[in-house]
Amino acid sequence: MAAYTLRRLWQFVPTLAGVVLLVFFLFNWVGGDPAYLLAGKISNPAQIENIRRQLGVDQSYAVQLGIFVKQVVSADFGASWATNERVADIFATRLGPSLTVLVPLLVISTLLGLAAAMLVAYLRGSITDRAVMIACTVGQSISILVYILVFQYLLAYHLGWFPVQGWGTTFSENLLRYSALAIVVGVAVSLAPDIRLYRTFFLDEINQDYVRTARAKGMSEGRVMWVHVLRNAAIPIVTNVLLQLPGLLAGAFLIERFFGIPGIGREVILAVERSDFPVIKAVTVYVAIATMIVNLAADLLYRAIDPRVQLK
Amino acid sequence: MSARALCLAVLLQACAAFGADKVLRVTFQAAETGFDPVRVSDYYSGSIIEAIFEPLLTYDYLARPARLVPKTAEALPQVSADGRTYTLKVRKGIYFSDDASFKGARRELTAQDYAYSIKRFFDPRYRSPYAFIFTGKIVGLDAKQTAAFDYDAPVAGLQTPDRYTLVIRLREPDINFAHVLAFPLVGAVAREAIDAYGEESPSHPVGTGAFRLKRYVRSSKIVLERNPSFRETRWDFDPGDNARFRALAERMRGKRLPAIDGVEVSIMEETQSRWLAFQRGETDIEYQLAEVAPTFLGDDGRLRPEFQRRGIQLDRSTDAEIIYLFFNMQDKTVGGFTKERIALRRAIAMAYKVEDQIRIIRKGQAVRAHYPIPAGVAGHDPDYRNSIPYDPAAANALLERYGYRKGADGYRRHPDGQPLVIRYGSMPTERDRQFDELMKRSLDSIGLRLEIQKERFPEMIKLQKECRVMVHHSAWIADYPDGDNFMQLLYGPNTHESNNACYQSKDFDRRYEKSRRLPDGPERDRLYHEMTRIMELDTAWLLTDTRIRNSLQQPRVVGYTKHPVLHAEWMYLDLE
Repeated sequence: MAAYTLRRLWQFVPTLAGVVLLVFFLFNWVGGDPAYLLAGKISNPAQIENIRRQLGVDQSYAVQLGIFVKQVVSADFGASWATNERVADIFATRLGPSLTVLVPLLVISTLLGLAAAMLVAYLRGSITDRAVMIACTVGQSISILVYILVFQYLLAYHLGWFPVQGWGTTFSENLLRYSALAIVVGVAVSLAPDIRLYRTFFLDEINQDYVRTARAKGMSEGRVMWVHVLRNAAIPIVTNVLLQLPGLLAGAFLIERFFGIPGIGREVILAVERSDFPVIKAVTVYVAIATMIVNLAADLLYRAIDPRVQLK
Repeated sequence: MSARALCLAVLLQACAAFGADKVLRVTFQAAETGFDPVRVSDYYSGSIIEAIFEPLLTYDYLARPARLVPKTAEALPQVSADGRTYTLKVRKGIYFSDDASFKGARRELTAQDYAYSIKRFFDPRYRSPYAFIFTGKIVGLDAKQTAAFDYDAPVAGLQTPDRYTLVIRLREPDINFAHVLAFPLVGAVAREAIDAYGEESPSHPVGTGAFRLKRYVRSSKIVLERNPSFRETRWDFDPGDNARFRALAERMRGKRLPAIDGVEVSIMEETQSRWLAFQRGETDIEYQLAEVAPTFLGDDGRLRPEFQRRGIQLDRSTDAEIIYLFFNMQDKTVGGFTKERIALRRAIAMAYKVEDQIRIIRKGQAVRAHYPIPAGVAGHDPDYRNSIPYDPAAANALLERYGYRKGADGYRRHPDGQPLVIRYGSMPTERDRQFDELMKRSLDSIGLRLEIQKERFPEMIKLQKECRVMVHHSAWIADYPDGDNFMQLLYGPNTHESNNACYQSKDFDRRYEKSRRLPDGPERDRLYHEMTRIMELDTAWLLTDTRIRNSLQQPRVVGYTKHPVLHAEWMYLDLE
């Protein structure tokens, strides 16, 4: 196990190098020259040149790439070009609001998705199963933007159950008051694909011989489904849940924008609009690292869930 | 606790509760970037800066067109006979808001603070986006653009002979320099505060204005509170003959400013969020609702009855801006001054249906722009009419006359038979897609082939400055309410800076240089007329529209009207 883990950790290096190269060349290719954005309404070539010099974008690509690598190694991406705020501070202050919304959202949607998927898998072929599948297909076909617009209008404006938007000063206020509608929207959006996916995982298991044997031994249906079927379907479920974790770092920009949540997703969009390369670099690298760590964690979890799994 | 103490506690609590009710709630539709005056260029940061910092001069709240009045200066500047020396006296007894950087002492505003604040625009480490307002103007200042800026080195054009006197010497006479001194970003900062906060200065603004920063969550929430150090100032503006202003003045006159205890600004990028929040009473003033204007406005431009019944108030005004379609005069397809090229540009301008731009894209919330200087800006002529009509038939005839014949594919070709493609610069936004469609319809009506050149915002700016965009829409919002701020957009030497049509006409430039030496008046107006006709003859621009700003207010807001130049009118209103 230790050797496997070390080998996988070593493989992070070339993967991260690929990410760094890709981000660097993509930004320089399509990102636009930030100096023109920062120069204001009226600027002359000398001022543009001064800005480019200060940002370091007047240097050769090799030098700029070297600075990028140094930043990745030192985990110090400097300051935002647009606001002068330290990139580390941006993450420190924006990650909390994003996680306040996304962690409960992930937990609730996973639990609800599992329960609903297990039910329709159990009732496979019934009217309930078909009705849920049709609803899921329709629900999945609707854009998240429609969910946001309709839920915000109906639940916040029309019924007044939630504030339209906003963010407070305490964790409990933010979680219970301001994040609630965003979580409801997020759960509504993710429930349909989750149910469909988990249903297929359960259906793969539900017809296996061990399920029939368990029933023949007189086990209750609850125990059969929640203990035996769930445990055997756990590997693809864990994979699906863990793969969603790196997304927490990038936030959910649409939800954050509409509900006024000062999270990392909004910041990423602002950074792209402003050609704010330090922030873009940091987000991309951190998400890449998180993805690699999560993938490794998933592999290790497989073995914990099913000892028959061999890690090579 | 004694009964007396209990009563006092209850009273204090009641006062606090009352105070909490006097917090104005507004929104920004885009995130701010910070509150250091020399480091920002966006409207939203500028609004906060305007509330916290004070320039020497400002504009009368109710005078239209906007009129300069003293702010921290004792009076308007004394200008020497040669127009090169401006002398201002800073009022005594104005103090910065308390701050740790002052180490417990009260810090009085002095002339030296303004000299320091102006110098900061030229400190290269700040790469100030608004340095252009001083560039080339003050004697000895531009020369100081070195890597290590020495603030203590004397500048010949910036003198403070005593604690309260500021003398500014200009390299050339400049009629509009007083407007520069009223620019919100020229507010005074204290050197101690800037030194103390260093790179953090954008989030630690310390000024002398009516408000100070109380809480700041970047890109989300900005909370201002009344500055306790703010001097006694009373609401006293002349409403003139305007009936609405007279009613407003009756309710506000004599009130101590600021009349409110604070301002809470929420960043809400999405129109639906702003609109629903306003309707739910979560915000007090909302003026960024162009997309949903037909929802609350009737065809006559008045509020729909259901909103009137709720006591919602509407303030309707045009922005001090122009939107225009420009042609790159150096482009090898549409540029140049030959008759064929002028005919091509004129035909495109004649085929472009400005009426549709206003009706469809602006949803009726804009007025046709005829003159390069918008209403509310000195030099504007409301009677001027653009000489380029909407007339596709005449545009087709013009193209035929100058040899732009249609080929087998139905599209016109150059007079020499080469393929002709008009490239329209556009950005990847929903709004730009609407412009693309309108441009396509317009060019189809005269048989010209259109190609959309999609670029992201930074790249589009770069291409404009390098004279590499063939045709594009652009907007200019007044930095100060004088026609010069708009006419300079067509001045030849400003190519690669603000002249994005890269228009270079000796006839225009000669008149512009002459106009710069003249004050607002008939002689300058005559020159502006001639310059506009010259531009129209060359057809470097097609002026399209000026947007209408519909500001909605909750019933409890009193004394609000959108000022054509000032961004943050918060100081002048009240909540009842």
